[in-house]
Amino acid sequence: MNWQAIEWGAMLPELIVLGTSLLLILLDLFLRKTVSRRPLGFLALLGVAGAFSALVLQLHEPSIQLFHDMYRVDGFSKTFKMLLLIGTFLVLCLAYDAKLGREENVRGEFYYLILTALVGAMFMASSADMITLFIGLELLSVSSYIMAGLKKHDAQSTEAAFKYVVSGGIATAITLFGMSYLFGLSGETNLYSMAKALQETALPDQSYMLVFAFFITFTGLAFKIASVPFHMWAPDVYEGAMVPVTAFLSVVSKTAGFIFIIRFFVLVFMMSKGVNSDSLLQQVQPYIIWLSGITMLVGSIIALRQSNVKRLFAYSSIAQAGFILAAFSVFTPALFETMWFYLFAYVLMNIGAFAVIQEVTTRNNDTGMTSFEGLGKQSPWLALAMTIFLLSLAGIPATVGFIGKFGILIALLGYGGLHYVLAGILIAATLLSYVYYFNLIVQMYFRTGEVKEKRRSQKGLLIVTIVCAAATVIFGIVPNIALHFFYEQFSISTFLQL
Amino acid sequence: MDLTNVYQNNYLVVVIFLLLGILLPVGALTAGRLLRPYKPRKEKYTTYESGIEPFHQSWIQFNVRYYLFALLFVIFDVETVFLYPWAVAYDKLGMFALIEMTVFIVMLAFGLLYAWRKKVLKWI
Repeated sequence: MNWQAIEWGAMLPELIVLGTSLLLILLDLFLRKTVSRRPLGFLALLGVAGAFSALVLQLHEPSIQLFHDMYRVDGFSKTFKMLLLIGTFLVLCLAYDAKLGREENVRGEFYYLILTALVGAMFMASSADMITLFIGLELLSVSSYIMAGLKKHDAQSTEAAFKYVVSGGIATAITLFGMSYLFGLSGETNLYSMAKALQETALPDQSYMLVFAFFITFTGLAFKIASVPFHMWAPDVYEGAMVPVTAFLSVVSKTAGFIFIIRFFVLVFMMSKGVNSDSLLQQVQPYIIWLSGITMLVGSIIALRQSNVKRLFAYSSIAQAGFILAAFSVFTPALFETMWFYLFAYVLMNIGAFAVIQEVTTRNNDTGMTSFEGLGKQSPWLALAMTIFLLSLAGIPATVGFIGKFGILIALLGYGGLHYVLAGILIAATLLSYVYYFNLIVQMYFRTGEVKEKRRSQKGLLIVTIVCAAATVIFGIVPNIALHFFYEQFSISTFLQL
Repeated sequence: MDLTNVYQNNYLVVVIFLLLGILLPVGALTAGRLLRPYKPRKEKYTTYESGIEPFHQSWIQFNVRYYLFALLFVIFDVETVFLYPWAVAYDKLGMFALIEMTVFIVMLAFGLLYAWRKKVLKWI
């Protein structure tokens, strides 16, 4: 192999993020202790922005493969990397504002851990090999474990990190076990070669093992997206971690999990035969449907009884994972579009909501729902932004969340059969979600709270709320801009074969 | 069908090893119990400290520094594991592998730098 023969330009976004994180590590290690680490946040933002522009430059180039088809830069990876980069940029803005108090000395580490996690997530989006997929997953997970426990002196944060590591380790082991079955059956690690090998072998005994492998891998990956059966870590970890970390876990990490799920399961299992002659992915649809339905219901019902905002949003994000899984259960080419758009909507509305949560909870030094009391009078703009995000999360028309949910519902209804039941559950879960989302709006506008001291204006908060609120409304009214972009970039044929 | 049998037979080996692993200590301990004489005395119940009489409680604070050294050791250990085969086949691999190895070592050097700046190398 030749050094020059590889098109390094294709990996430019990842290389930029990686380079920035290494630079940040060096700066953080060798700057004097007394020097504030805040400016490093600008550098991190610059790195992400640079990677984003490198990605935009790539958009019109044809898809290519690197390293013996291990690494693909195709429409799928480009469009999903876009979401990851936007999400991380907004999270970094929040991290810039974060009040660390006693732990101010970890600020530098905080910034570069977000970047290394981003590199892992971007690798997952681009890799077409089980090994690189897994390494990307682990890079993301290990960075997240540390981020969850960054507040060393805070008992809750330490508990969160510990729970996250233990349950994450179990989930990883389960995923790997399932992957080992797939490797045993196909003898390949490359997803495309695996698909080919599994398609050719049509032994009846093997197909049972294949279904088993599917179940196991899916269960393990449920951890990353926080869906049933691996959802119980989410409330504790979300509550204990700092708000920017919570936002990262619930948005970027979840998006990366869905990227893994789409790439891995669609490629490997679409062509392989299940217990009878149908495609395996068609046959396990009832399983995905029930998991998605249960996830929505569990998330929405338990969220009704939460009094802590961060726990409330943890359950809300479980329910949202259920909605996105519902889109995955519809196995048509429209799957990519509905999932991408919903994740896009989710990035905007959820990070926006977390920005307001960060501001309100720091102001009150309390994460209870009551800290939102009287926000409408005190900071009308902040309350307005939060209202937009909540309406979007609930799926009210003229917001981007509505378009996303509408797309999923239409896809479900177009399929028929058991999907009608899932559509019913989706509507029921949405109705339930009105109760807890609107409860927050009631707190903001109809309760009077004591007047609290305002913090000086926060730059990160300002950027995030304005960008997210504007985008939530704009893409809610003219969603075609985003959908058009997706159609232009993504084509199912390049996803399946270059 | 044959392939499946071969695949499942592999797991049979795993099961045999598992059973052996469980049975061996159980068997050894039971045999020891049956064969040894049983004459308890008070001195026999004291903690064994290389022949020295124990002089205080065993619940004490001790330094976990060794654990950090073990972690650091892993950095260098992995480094040698990869460097050795590369050095052996250096002539065949050429320039590309040299650059790759440099990248690899630089990455590991970051780990060492981190440990140094975080005062892991200092013995207190």
